[in-house]
Amino acid sequence: MDTKLRQIIYETLSEVFETMYFTFLEPLFETPAQEELAAADGYYEASITFQGGKSGCLRFYLPQSLARGITVNFLGVDEVDVNEAQILDTVKETANMAVGSLLGRIDPDGTMKLGLPQSRVASAFSSADLLAKPGLFLFNTEHGLLWVVYEEGA
Amino acid sequence: MAFNILVADDSETMRAVVKKTVEMSGVPIGTFHEAANGKEALAILENNWVDVILSDINMPEMGGMDLLRAVAASEDYKRIPLIFITTESSEARMEEAKKLGVAGYIKKPFVPETIKTILYEVLARAYEHRLAADMPPQGGESGDMDF
Repeated sequence: MDTKLRQIIYETLSEVFETMYFTFLEPLFETPAQEELAAADGYYEASITFQGGKSGCLRFYLPQSLARGITVNFLGVDEVDVNEAQILDTVKETANMAVGSLLGRIDPDGTMKLGLPQSRVASAFSSADLLAKPGLFLFNTEHGLLWVVYEEGA
Repeated sequence: MAFNILVADDSETMRAVVKKTVEMSGVPIGTFHEAANGKEALAILENNWVDVILSDINMPEMGGMDLLRAVAASEDYKRIPLIFITTESSEARMEEAKKLGVAGYIKKPFVPETIKTILYEVLARAYEHRLAADMPPQGGESGDMDF
């Protein structure tokens, strides 16, 4: 993946998380220590495809604490008032906003089309599998690591 | 008098956030209708008076562009201003929406102030007489409104 696209992805994701969720992303360029890779409380996964000049998919893996945190901030409610349906919806909307914004930046002519976002509990999350992927982006947040995988031609 | 607002977005949380933002903007709201796609939005329009539509573009079953086409083609609905609140921000898509008569375009991610500003601009264009009568005085809870 070229450096410019990588930079645009970093900027786009940061804008979405900061503007909508008041959550700051710190890009990580080196693999963190093993103990930092495991989230005790499991992960949510969101994905969205795009087709056109370039085709592919972006997958987002959020620790449950991060997913809950952004949902609380997004809705402006207390943590106890957030349910799992709202968390899954927020995670899904995150993928939609991030990739929609990304396409707006890399495809001003609008030749690429977004698919419909999906979200679920990531029951088979494997940090080892994700670390082997070439399109991996890792971010540190106050609620743990955010994993994003860019898959071209998916 | 107040404005009846219809929000079409397949994300329930996004609809809740838009509703909260509109409430905080100071616009007098009558009924706040919610639809999960364009089809549901049209069904609401069939049975209810709506003053402004805030719609996403990327929705299942019937997207925002098709909703805009249906609204623009209808003698009954073409008076209703439609504002897109969407991630789809390519110039080509905005141009297409403009040609179809979209009243405003808000790009996600957004800050609440953007919704407030564009909603006021659109409402002022479409219903200036009603806004003048309905709005709370400057310096009140609704804050600084410059239109």
